[in-house]
Amino acid sequence: MAPTRTIKNKHSAKSSSSSSSGPKRSSKDGVKKPSFGGSKSGPKGGAPKGKIPTKEQKGKPNFGQDKKKKARVYTEKELGIPELNMITPVGVTKPKGKKKGKVFVDDRESMSTILAIVQAEKEGQIESKLIKARQMEEIREARKAEAEKKEQERKAKLDETKELMRKKRKRGDEKKKKGEEDEEDRIVKDAVATGTKAAKAKGGKKRVSFAADAE
Amino acid sequence: MRALTDEEMKTVLDKLANYMSDLKSLISPLEDGDRYVFRLNHSRVYYVKLSIANLATSISRDALLSLGTCLGKLTRTGKFRLHITALPILAQGARHKIWIKENGAQPFLYGSNVVKAHVGRWSEDCPEHQGCVVYSMADIPLGFGVTARSTTEARRLDPTGVVCFRQSDCGEYLRDEDTLFAG
Repeated sequence: MAPTRTIKNKHSAKSSSSSSSGPKRSSKDGVKKPSFGGSKSGPKGGAPKGKIPTKEQKGKPNFGQDKKKKARVYTEKELGIPELNMITPVGVTKPKGKKKGKVFVDDRESMSTILAIVQAEKEGQIESKLIKARQMEEIREARKAEAEKKEQERKAKLDETKELMRKKRKRGDEKKKKGEEDEEDRIVKDAVATGTKAAKAKGGKKRVSFAADAE
Repeated sequence: MRALTDEEMKTVLDKLANYMSDLKSLISPLEDGDRYVFRLNHSRVYYVKLSIANLATSISRDALLSLGTCLGKLTRTGKFRLHITALPILAQGARHKIWIKENGAQPFLYGSNVVKAHVGRWSEDCPEHQGCVVYSMADIPLGFGVTARSTTEARRLDPTGVVCFRQSDCGEYLRDEDTLFAG
């Protein structure tokens, strides 16, 4: 590296540059050692360098070195480049420009505003629940009424049919009774007229049928 | 010990609003110029007078066991769980109430739900799944719970049907003695 004591004096610089053993000597000097490691520990060896550029501003390579140093200073965080393949939990990311820490609610005004908001929300929820429950109840009532009505209709129909059946049966009984009476009368009359012939006639019929079967 | 944040306050009040109709009375100023505030210590929320809370600032967090009335605990998921210690405050401004007969008081205090056969009376127009405070017939608050059925539905229920799911009861003072105030 260029910065050495020799630069201060042009003649000495020339002599040092001309002599092959010059740089070795300068490197051996305890004070000048940091100048060699200047690239790595740039800011530490700043004191001797600071003096140098005042006289050696014409030298372009120095400017280039300074720029390189500045470029090294930037890190990814400073540039704001998002890190790849990293999962940042929601709680960890903090918005820029916002105050650090928690915001407490302790004054009455803010507490009462939160309270009013919460209460209004709850009231609304409960009200909607009640309205819903009432509507459901109304629907249930209507269904119940309808079912009852249907049941009544069915019952009425059943009763009607029962009545009809009864009436029919009554009529049938009366007819039957009348018919039986007529038959009895006829039998009695026949018996009176023919004596025991009625029984004989019955037996003859049987015989005929029996004979037909045999054949 | 610290005051609650915006979100914490909202969750706490939201839970309290399930059971109470008048929340404003909670933070209204007292006659002596003092007022009640909410404070958080070890994830427990306390309802305490401001003057006492200010005095308590001289005690370190670890050394402070309790102050005022413990309302409940803020869980790690950000929810709020009411403790039985909040019962006196809930009972003051209860929105819905259920009175249970003497034969139902013991089962309730032992941790079971309220069945219809044990109900002496209940407040009208109570919807389903709504917070309610459970009283004995002598108007002594025994605990709180959530209604299983609305009032109209509960009327049609059979005697063994559950009317109210228990959330907390006074028996917890004995049952949860170890964990109620610390831990």
